[in-house]
Formats: sequence, C-alpha cells, structure tokens
Amino acid sequence: MRRIITILIFFSFQTVGRESGQTEITTDDGIEVFNQEKYYLLKTNVKIISDEYELSADLVKAYFNKDLYDITRIFSDGNVTLISSKGIKASGEKIDFDIINEDLQIFGKNSLFTNKEIIMISDEEIKINNITGNFLIKGPDSRLKSDTIDITGYLIKGKFSQIENINEVELLYVEDERQINIKTETLDMYALSANYDKKINIIELFDNVKIIRDNESILGDYAKINTLTESYKVTSKESGKVKALLDKKDE
Amino acid sequence: MCMTCYDLLVKLNNFLKINKKTLLILSILLTATFFATIFYKKVGLNVAKENILLIDPKFDIVNPSFTINNPKEKISVTANKGNFLNNNKIFLKNNVFFKSSNFTILSDEVTYDKKNQTAVSKSTSKFESEGTEIISEGFSITEKGDIILFNGKTLLKLKQ
Repeated sequence: MRRIITILIFFSFQTVGRESGQTEITTDDGIEVFNQEKYYLLKTNVKIISDEYELSADLVKAYFNKDLYDITRIFSDGNVTLISSKGIKASGEKIDFDIINEDLQIFGKNSLFTNKEIIMISDEEIKINNITGNFLIKGPDSRLKSDTIDITGYLIKGKFSQIENINEVELLYVEDERQINIKTETLDMYALSANYDKKINIIELFDNVKIIRDNESILGDYAKINTLTESYKVTSKESGKVKALLDKKDE
Repeated sequence: MCMTCYDLLVKLNNFLKINKKTLLILSILLTATFFATIFYKKVGLNVAKENILLIDPKFDIVNPSFTINNPKEKISVTANKGNFLNNNKIFLKNNVFFKSSNFTILSDEVTYDKKNQTAVSKSTSKFESEGTEIISEGFSITEKGDIILFNGKTLLKLKQ
C-alpha cells in the first residue's frame, strides 16, 4: 500500500506543471550527482525546461556553483536542441552553454544557430557570445545568412551589434582555401578572404577576386567595395590590369 | 394482597432513602473503572505490538541507525527495520532516511553496506536539498556520499 502511494506521488509530481522561476529536468536513465567535481550527469532523453530556455539532448553534463540549483554551465551531447525565450534557436551534435558568460558553442555536423533574422550553419563549430556579440563559424560549408547578406566560407568570424532590436554585422572576416562568397542584394563577390568594417562601410576582398553586378563581372587580385555607394575598385598584383566581362545578351 | 403491596412500598421507600453521597461515589467509581479499562486495553495493545515486532523473525533489527563518515560531512542512515544479508550488508526497510547537513534522501527499501559505506535502492526515492528536489526510481551512494546516482526515470526540480 505504501509503495502504491509513493508511486502515485511520483507520477503526480511528473504531471504537475512547472512553477515560474523553477527549472525542471527529466531523464529516462537517471542522474549522477558528483558533489566534489560539482556537476550532474543527466542520462538519456534529457529535457530541461526553465523560464529562459528549453533544452533537449541524449546526455547532459550540468555544472553547478555552490548549491545544486545554481547551474552555471550545461554541456549537452547527442541530438541537442536549445530554444531560448529571447528567440535564439540552436541545434547540433554537441552544445556547450555557459550560462554566466552567455557563451554558446555548437559542434558537429548540421550545426545550426538562428537569432531572429540571423542564421548560422556549419558542419564543425559555431561559437557566439551574447554579451560581446563576437561570433565564429568554422568548418566546411560554413554559412552566415541574414535578410541583407549571405556569406559562405571555411572560417567566418566577426562581431554583431544590436540596433533597435535588430542584429547587424559590425565586423567580419571570412576565409577559405578554395573560395569565399559574399552576396548582397546587388553584388555577388568571390575571393579567398574578405574583411568588412561597418564603421567605414568598406568590404575588402583578397586573392582570386571576382565581383558580379548585374551583367558585368570583374576579375582581379584585390577589391575595395563601398557598401553605401556600391562603388568598387579592383586591382591586380602582376600586370596591374583587371579583367571585365560584359554580358551582351542583357545589355 | 394488601400485605404484599405494603412490603413493596416499604422497599421502594428504603431505596429512595439512599444517601446522595453514596450514589455520587458509586458513579465516580464506575466511570473511573470504565476509563481505566479503556486505557489499559490501549497500552496493552501497543506493548503487544512492540513485542510482536521484537519477536518478529522477519526482521533482525528495529530502528537501525548508521553513519557514513565523509571528510566533508556526516550522513546519518536510519530506518524502521533492518535485516542482515551478510556480515556487512543490511537490508533496510520502511522510512529509510539519509540525512546530512546538505541533503536528505527518503526511500522505502535500501541495501546498506557497512564496510564500504555504500547504499543501493531500487525503490522510489526522494532527494531534497536547498532549492533542489529529485524523484527517481532508485538510487545509489558511493565514494562515501560524494557520488549519488539516481536511477531510472528521474525528475529534478531546481528553484533558487
């Protein structure tokens, strides 16, 4: 009889909704609490629900500070999905979430991070700091996409700034041994590396440069593009000459 | 006929002449006897129950109590009943309670190892600490309480 009552209490606890300010964690295969090392190991089909975020994963290592409830960092492994109340969505094979420093690292194939209009994709690593705005996307076919720009390359790093609740790229560096690509509404740019600084509104392209606008295509070794006026200057290292191709059909 | 009626009247008259004091004392005595009987029966039952428990062959110990000595904290282990499985292992049953300065764990059935100071339970267990509650399908304590494993489907609630 006592056992039946205990089981009933257990399942009634499971069905009672979460209170505000409370973090609720459920697992299929238990929890290991390491008091000395100060972390929990949450095993199989882990679901964490709090006011700020919801996380699901196969395995979670949650570090706590002084008290058990004081979670500071969550390392999740296997089919990880994180959704924050601020509109952030992240998914990947592994996610390392530093709650104190608001630092998020996503690892593995099909890593994905979205924050309102910003989308980041990689097959290796995505790193974002919500406080500083610094970000890094690394790995084959890494991509950064927003309403106004689409960037691909092996390494994309830079800094976001939030103006009137809209995320804008403030600083950007892109590189790829094979080729990087930056697409804006009017320009399609290719090179081996690129720099962008919003303060001076300049994009610089380095090596194997190709700029396509409307029906014209310019080739060179270096390009400097003013994003406000959309004017650009292309130079070549060896001959000092650049090659321009015009499509006659659309003239 | 008239003589008989007369005798009855005399007897009734004598009865009505009984002293009120005597009647009161008799009533108090009767009430006291009544309550004394009830009290004796109740106490007697408890004593009998305890005796049953003490002589119950199913359990080796009543109200067993142990301590897990961790350098950081002491964890006291108590239960209602206990059975020796071997020299070191004791099967604790009913209200098995682990208590330290930081947490408590309540379960119904736990196997406690005196020598290694470990504990294993396959019954529903409830862990409570400041701002933390864990309900699981069992648990085990190793490393003198430094590592606690909660088994099966587990629910953890945290609140600052």
